[in-house]
Amino acid sequence: MFILELQISVIIKHQEKIASPEIIQSRYEDLGYICSHSVATAIYLACHLQKPILIEGPPGVGKTELAKVTATYLNAPLIRMQCYEGLDESKALYEWKYGKQLLYTQVLKEQLGDVLRGARGLDESIARLHDFGDIFYSQEFLEPRPLLQALQSADGAVLLIDEIDKADQEFEAFLLELLSDYQVSIPEIGTVKAVSTPIVMLTSNNTRELGDALKRRCLHLYIPFPDAALESRILATQVEGLDSQLREQIVALIGKLRDMPLKKSPAVSETIDWARALLLLNVEELDSHWVKETLNLLLKFQDDIELVEPEIKALLKGLR
Amino acid sequence: MRFVADFIGALREAGLQVSPAESLDALKAIKLLGLESRETSKTVLALTLVKRQADQVMYEELFDLYFAGVEKAKASNKELNKESNKEADKSESESSESALDAKSNPSSSQADMSDGKGMQTSPRSLLGQALGENKDMSLAITQAAIDEKLSSIVLFTQKNHFAYKIMQRLGDEALSAEIRSQANSLEHKSSLEHKSSLEHKSSPEHKSSPEHKRKQRELVKARARLLDQVKDYVEQQYGIFAQHKGLKYREEYLQQAKLSQLDRLDYILMQRLVQRAARKLASQHSRKRLTRKRGQLDVRKTIAANAAFDGALFHTRWKATRIERPKIVAICDVSGSVSRVARFLLLFLYSMQDVMPKVRSFIFASEMIEVTELFKQQGIELALEEIMKRWGGLSTDYGKALAGFQSQALASIDKKTTVIMLGDARNNQGDGRTDIWEKVFRQSKRVLWLNPEQRNSWDNGDSIMSEYSPWCSSVEPCRNLKDIERIFSRLLKYS
Repeated sequence: MFILELQISVIIKHQEKIASPEIIQSRYEDLGYICSHSVATAIYLACHLQKPILIEGPPGVGKTELAKVTATYLNAPLIRMQCYEGLDESKALYEWKYGKQLLYTQVLKEQLGDVLRGARGLDESIARLHDFGDIFYSQEFLEPRPLLQALQSADGAVLLIDEIDKADQEFEAFLLELLSDYQVSIPEIGTVKAVSTPIVMLTSNNTRELGDALKRRCLHLYIPFPDAALESRILATQVEGLDSQLREQIVALIGKLRDMPLKKSPAVSETIDWARALLLLNVEELDSHWVKETLNLLLKFQDDIELVEPEIKALLKGLR
Repeated sequence: MRFVADFIGALREAGLQVSPAESLDALKAIKLLGLESRETSKTVLALTLVKRQADQVMYEELFDLYFAGVEKAKASNKELNKESNKEADKSESESSESALDAKSNPSSSQADMSDGKGMQTSPRSLLGQALGENKDMSLAITQAAIDEKLSSIVLFTQKNHFAYKIMQRLGDEALSAEIRSQANSLEHKSSLEHKSSLEHKSSPEHKSSPEHKRKQRELVKARARLLDQVKDYVEQQYGIFAQHKGLKYREEYLQQAKLSQLDRLDYILMQRLVQRAARKLASQHSRKRLTRKRGQLDVRKTIAANAAFDGALFHTRWKATRIERPKIVAICDVSGSVSRVARFLLLFLYSMQDVMPKVRSFIFASEMIEVTELFKQQGIELALEEIMKRWGGLSTDYGKALAGFQSQALASIDKKTTVIMLGDARNNQGDGRTDIWEKVFRQSKRVLWLNPEQRNSWDNGDSIMSEYSPWCSSVEPCRNLKDIERIFSRLLKYS
């Protein structure tokens, strides 16, 4: 019972905060993160079912931001682990403090004479040696990496495993134990259980298909590009002092750009950057001159820019 | 809860992989948030059940279909209940009236009495009674459908069969028999009436006979309504269970289907299969790379890194191995004899370009043409279309084509290159220039010849397969997707 209480401490502490998806949605809005209902529902379920969320979606729709805002909202530390090819458990989970271990053995050598003094015969020496606590492989020499930190933090944490698709398949398999049971096995010590269950979020840009085993253990949230209304609200909160008419124009134009066959469609973060730039330039209404000048904020490939540039007039015409 | 489980069943039929653990999650989540709001339940089920983006569309389609059905059933239940209540009131008053009629006309003849009883009281068959009382049949239909295992429906041709079966289970036989017998007796009676009306002019039969007819007509109508309802239900269930199952069967069939017998629709499906196979190969490829990543121990670096630890070797340093992906040069015959297969082979190569970065693609009929750039620039459909339009279906000249290949690509073939030839080696009696093929073989790591014809038709007619085969590492018949998948996975494994 005690363990159970400990495990759901994050939730008990903030019970009123996660009482319903609607509350989550509106509170996130206060924090400046405008999300759709399905995102709020996902957070709600993740808290109540104690399940990790796998977040997928095109880059720049706020996957990582969602984890950050969740951490802020729940007053929990955000522990972030960026994945990359070649990431292994010594970087993700734990590492031994080799240097200290080495020093320890030297200290031990010096102490050994004192410990064994007066011992008669080999048997007694070995018996004394056994009594001597062996701490070579113990918590003291363990250097916790992000995953272990998340399990050990007493007040719960938000663990963000970013861009899991960039990590190797082996690493994915290694995560399974953590994701389903909130524990990890360290061969020299044994199983380390979570002090309090962290909220785990994984993000993926879908550069490769993730394993079914991993997907099965997670709630699967797909965040698409926001629709016009949502994006307009996002802009309103993120960019202060933006004229509402200009805002609608920006959103409409971005929506059209996303329908074009671009190498990389402009994401929400790019929309925000662009809006800020337009504000800075004192642009009051979108015209082809300004759009052309600032297009490189939106489009990151020369091919895309060349594709869009001749179309700007036509695109703008549709807005009015 | 019941229909969440049913819905999961439908998802599985449609090819989504839903594990029991995920089903449990879905149920827990539904328990938390309820099923009242359709939007919420849609999100909740998507979160817990749909783990692949590709499945999202299928899920949404099924969800709408399924829950539209459920909601309709609920709504019609309510309406029907209201209506039937009204109707019941009416029919009660009616029946009491008719009972009064019957009492007030005690003078009616014996035969008429018995007939009248049979018709004025509710119909004899159970189903008829139920219909007469305007009971809601949807529950009964669902039950009957379960008994008849409607969810096993696969083909649209089975729809009528199942509708019939369900009607039977509902007790249609008795009902039809009753309708028939009533019709008979009505005819019989009307003829009787005709006679009797000639004998005594005023008689109570006049009144009762239209009443009987009305009842009988009503019964027929009710039966037609029921049949419609059953058919609707079967249609809806077919939409849920069968459409996608059909797709699954088709795909399985396609894996075995010969390449040349594919029509256009199947071709699209095939394309999807090829992409899936290519993805499978890609994952295999990357896994292989990883086991190779750690190379030999780099002694010098290791010692340097561990100087701080009194020379004890804690951190190991490894010599990284360079990963050499196979370089592939693919040559594809698109001449008349193989063009239908070539379309497919090109399609596969196109997908392979995503997997292995160093694929150079050539096509030929009589001229050798490199299409690597074309593949890169154009979408799959357009590229294939263009190739087939410009070069497809011409007559073959292996000699000329190979000469062209020699000048264009022979220099770039080295010991890491795998050369894949897709062709039937039918050379219209010309010089095959096997000397060039020998050079290709000697310079490359391996030469694969994939022949779309069966082994026993090689060397028949103008096929000169045996002239080339000494200069190939392996010659394989390549007749369907399974063959190709096998060949390419081996290519990745041993490269």
